[in-house]
Amino acid sequence: MESAAVKILYNKEVAPKYFKLGLSWKTPPIAPGHFVMLRVSDGLDPLLRRPFGIYNVLGSKGKGTFKGNGIELVYQVVGKGTQILANKAAGETINLLGPLGNGFPHPDGSKKIIMIAGGMGIVPLHMLAKSTEGAVLLYGARDKKVASMAKDFKDTKCKVKIATEDGSVGKKGLVTELLKTELKSDSVVYACGPVGMLKQASIISQAAGVKCYVSLERSMACGIGVCLGCAVKAKTHNEKENKNYRMVCSEGPVFDSEEIDWDAL
Amino acid sequence: MGRTVNKKANPKLGVEIAGIKFRNPVMTASGTFGYGLEFTPYTDLNKLGGIVVKGLSLNPRQGNPSPRIVETPCGMLNAIGLQNVGVDYFIKEKLPALRKYKTQIIANIFGETIEDYMEVAKRLSDSEGVSAIEINISCPNVKKGGIVFGTDPSEAAKVVSAVKGSSRLPIITKLSPNVTDIKVMVKAVEEAGADAISLINTLTGMVIDVEKRKPVLATITGGLSGPAIRPVAVRMVWQAKQVAKVPLIGMGGIMNARDALEFIIAGASAVQVGTANFVDPDSAAKVADGIEEYITRHKTSLKDLIGSMKVG
Ligand SMILES: Cc1cc2nc3c(=O)[nH]c(=O)nc-3n(C[C@H](O)[C@H](O)[C@H](O)COP(=O)(O)OP(=O)(O)OC[C@H]3O[C@@H](n4cnc5c(N)ncnc54)[C@H](O)[C@@H]3O)c2cc1C
Ligand SMILES: Cc1cc2nc3c(=O)[nH]c(=O)nc-3n(C[C@H](O)[C@H](O)[C@H](O)COP(=O)(O)O)c2cc1C
Ligand code: FES
Repeated sequence: MESAAVKILYNKEVAPKYFKLGLSWKTPPIAPGHFVMLRVSDGLDPLLRRPFGIYNVLGSKGKGTFKGNGIELVYQVVGKGTQILANKAAGETINLLGPLGNGFPHPDGSKKIIMIAGGMGIVPLHMLAKSTEGAVLLYGARDKKVASMAKDFKDTKCKVKIATEDGSVGKKGLVTELLKTELKSDSVVYACGPVGMLKQASIISQAAGVKCYVSLERSMACGIGVCLGCAVKAKTHNEKENKNYRMVCSEGPVFDSEEIDWDAL
Repeated sequence: MGRTVNKKANPKLGVEIAGIKFRNPVMTASGTFGYGLEFTPYTDLNKLGGIVVKGLSLNPRQGNPSPRIVETPCGMLNAIGLQNVGVDYFIKEKLPALRKYKTQIIANIFGETIEDYMEVAKRLSDSEGVSAIEINISCPNVKKGGIVFGTDPSEAAKVVSAVKGSSRLPIITKLSPNVTDIKVMVKAVEEAGADAISLINTLTGMVIDVEKRKPVLATITGGLSGPAIRPVAVRMVWQAKQVAKVPLIGMGGIMNARDALEFIIAGASAVQVGTANFVDPDSAAKVADGIEEYITRHKTSLKDLIGSMKVG
């Protein structure tokens, strides 16, 4: 974990409002599921850093954990902070805090891995795909342009199946429908995407008696477990620290889906 | 940023408040710096004058439902609900590692009844390593129909004198800005025995999602912090200074040394850095460095700067 001023290598629009951002950074070890907090502006508005998952570690041949000389992020412009980010050019510097979070538990190889992503949820799963073999990615995208992100999985040993809302590629409809057909009793599920999708993935997996890990998103201020702002309610009580809430930034963002109280989200 | 060599403290930067010697006037504000240890990868705790830890209660508190935070123009609202590990866990699990640093450790406490406050204060003063207690009085008194201690001078005074009587430690009382006249509160807690006064806590605010016509925070309202509140906070410190006999510790939206100096010139003997820790975890140490640079450049000392505002 460190706070570093890093140089922007590139910042290019790959689909409408979807950007790939390359940052020059001699990284500490990074595991799939880790994220960083970026300070998009030196000014006071927006004030807080923005969290982004890590899509790629540049110049790394690692597996499991990665060390390299840069990282690649993928982000969607949704508001003020991401718009400021989109206007940045190669050569500018930006302050980064990371790597943060727990990351996905590394698959032990005994189970068939199913990754399920909705929209930007594809980001941390790309790193996971690079460290596993024989996995399948189920990718739910708005349309054909966004679905084109799936071509990045060619450099992984992972099979991709797509569902789009408009049916322009792959199956028309929800990606969770693909999960239903793909799921076997010896599967393990890794999910990232909108809450509704994660909840469905959790329900479907639990009904099949399959473990499902979800990567959650929450508004964050600190990213390091001190402001207690990014809480999600857990079903289980932590006896040692006597608490019901979990911090997405420091105890997550990846959780066993059975641990989460989905009705409170 | 990592660790830097801990250079000798500059005497011109030191300050004594309620009998405690601070190496510099910069502390971290309660609730924005965890229990301090979380920041060791990013900053040198030995560079801080003091660390005020997250508010502690008698029993662990679960805190409020989520969403608990939302960003606002130049600030943020929080409704954490005072989630914390409880005083016993703090003493056993956090304090031993924390007291190894060359910085003063201040325990921020709160309760729902006067008896709660007293018991927390007692346990802290029986433990080794805490330099002072900061009482957060911005909490509802459950025995008095939820009236906030810090908005009623007589309730506030009762808490302060009860805590004072239960502890050997110096008492800093932290005032709420959600009052009509801060001077009334200053006088009330001072008469009740406060050794120092810190201000301001957060200002109550709210944000509405207009598409859904729903409040963004689960608890509807929350506490506003960050640079948005700084002018209000500076004004309140200045007003408090007109009547206060005990030292003041100023806070509210401090992002850098310049901001901190406003508070000092308005009358604060020390400052606390809060929300800025989220933006840059090394903020407080940088504020201390910046104040030192100012003192050297102006050939002055902290002592001479406190309350040095020239009017007219
Ligand atoms: C652990 C984690 C990893 C993330 N990884 C990525 C990623 O790889 N790529 C990516 O594009 N985005 C990612 N996000 C979401 C990203 O942080 C938000 O989209 C971003 O903070 C929005 O900032 P803004 O200023 O543009 O939007 P704002 O103006 O702050 O808000 C615009 C809209 O975005 C929503 N929003 C704000 N913050 C978040 C948030 N943290 N999560 C979800 N929605 C939010 C708001 O509710 C609002 O509707 C991640 C979030 C988390 C918590
Ligand atoms: C997330 C958060 C949690 C806080 N928790 C506490 C607390 O437990 N006790 C307390 O006295 N003040 C608490 N505060 C208030 C701060 O200590 C400080 O008074 C306030 O935020 C104003 O300073 P700032 O603008 O520099 O943040 C909290 C503030 C924030 C933002
Ligand atoms: S963002 Fe502060 S605790 Fe998670």
